[in-house]
Amino acid sequence: MHRFIRLSVLLMGLFAVASSYAADAPLPAPMTEDDLGPAIEQPIEFPHNRHAGLRNPDDPTNSDPLKGGMEINCMYCHTFARRSAVAGIPPLQKCIGCHQSIDTVRDKPRIKKLFEYWDAKKPVPWKKVHDLPDFVRFNHERHIKRFIFQQNRPVQEACGYCHGDVKTMTVARRSKLLSMGWCVTCHEKEHLVTAEGGIPVGNQAYWYSMHKPPVDPSGIVKAKGPNDCSVCHK
Amino acid sequence: MSVSNLLENWSDVRHTHPVDDVPHTPYKWAMSIDLDACSGCNACSVACYAENNLAVVGKEKYEHGHSMHWMRIERYWDEDGREFPDQGAQFLPMMCQQCEAAPCETVCPVGATNHTPDGINSQIYNRCIGSRYCEANCPYKVRYFNWYDYPTTDNVWPAEMNQQLNPDVTVRGKGVMEKCTFCIQRVTVAKNNAKNEGRLVHDGDVQTACQQACPTSAIHFGNLVDPESKVYKQWQAQQVELDKDEQTKDKGTEEGGVSPEGEGKLRGYRVFEELRPYPSVMYLERVRESDI
Repeated sequence: MHRFIRLSVLLMGLFAVASSYAADAPLPAPMTEDDLGPAIEQPIEFPHNRHAGLRNPDDPTNSDPLKGGMEINCMYCHTFARRSAVAGIPPLQKCIGCHQSIDTVRDKPRIKKLFEYWDAKKPVPWKKVHDLPDFVRFNHERHIKRFIFQQNRPVQEACGYCHGDVKTMTVARRSKLLSMGWCVTCHEKEHLVTAEGGIPVGNQAYWYSMHKPPVDPSGIVKAKGPNDCSVCHK
Repeated sequence: MSVSNLLENWSDVRHTHPVDDVPHTPYKWAMSIDLDACSGCNACSVACYAENNLAVVGKEKYEHGHSMHWMRIERYWDEDGREFPDQGAQFLPMMCQQCEAAPCETVCPVGATNHTPDGINSQIYNRCIGSRYCEANCPYKVRYFNWYDYPTTDNVWPAEMNQQLNPDVTVRGKGVMEKCTFCIQRVTVAKNNAKNEGRLVHDGDVQTACQQACPTSAIHFGNLVDPESKVYKQWQAQQVELDKDEQTKDKGTEEGGVSPEGEGKLRGYRVFEELRPYPSVMYLERVRESDI
């Protein structure tokens, strides 16, 4: 009998020691939605704010890069986002296409570096910022069709759901969590399927969930995003 | 979840497909395989290896039952008493039957295998913890377990061979169950394309890898709720219904069945129908010499 008591006391003591060691170890800080992802060093420090940022109303010639941007549409450079599952990286031709005729910034160090790549016929080795795990299937085209083309939401708002406020960044940095729970928070929202009078939004007259959503008397149908495992997991 | 809550709301917790309140719409993926056309060439199996990143495990592991062929050709010998050379083998391609009331789904402790609204029994690899309960409960024995970490095992994908892996399919690691998914990566692409164009998937928009490789077109894949699809027409012609556990072919003539002899003989059947998993694959019986 005493042996059992001794053993249990010993085990409890061991557990207490082990857990106190575990408590001392520094825990990783809990990630919140606003936490930034790791800073990534790119071959050229691309100023997103200068290209996509809002114009400075006091400076019509847009001469001061610190004050105003060009308001270029995200999809002008990230052209494959609306055409395919992966957004892709803008090719060097895209940069040169504009910059060969912009003489005012031609002697700036970043543009010089850009033309070095161009003359060497080498692509710029951009690094991936928003990297999803290999078992996840994310379709840019579907999200852009749904929010920008069917619901007419502003481009920077729709892209910003996942990419954050890129127009204020220089080199892009991950500012959303991009975890499964984070994705699901949006897929659980009720999104418009048919507008008033039962008119389908952008031919979106069907949905893929187990239960048919209720129809409002005015004909408005709202449905959640797909929440089926196999839609996003491959 | 309390037991009383579980019992009261049993129908919500355990949904048997198909059910009246959750009809298949707009998709129910199904297959039909004509065994009379099947020559047992194994092209479907090879195509499946290429499409779905299946590991080639080698002879030794194969003998231990560690093979990963999602699509396997089962071989049977005719039983009319003839000796070997004249006996005649017949073949049956066997893969996951995508059961509507799948025995594997109910036993998964983490819900890694579950039913999609379009009737595919999906397998979520990154969720799987490798209990292998589903494999034990599968009457068709079409679930395959990764006993080794094949991506790092020698001679499975030696250097540069890994370049041919399909990027749309996960390369499974050790301790994960896997099985035929009706090429869900192709189905997803077809559905996305159709959605972008504001329409439903047409018959022929999506082919499974095995169907595409079959030299005799024995395999057909399509949407069973689309009256224009080949699969729907074949199931109709054979009077095979998804939610029945006994088809017209197996009923006697007195119960409204058709004559087992003659021209209009029904050939469609589903494997292990009597167990009521309601499989989504219909086989068309081989036409035997004695029938002609």
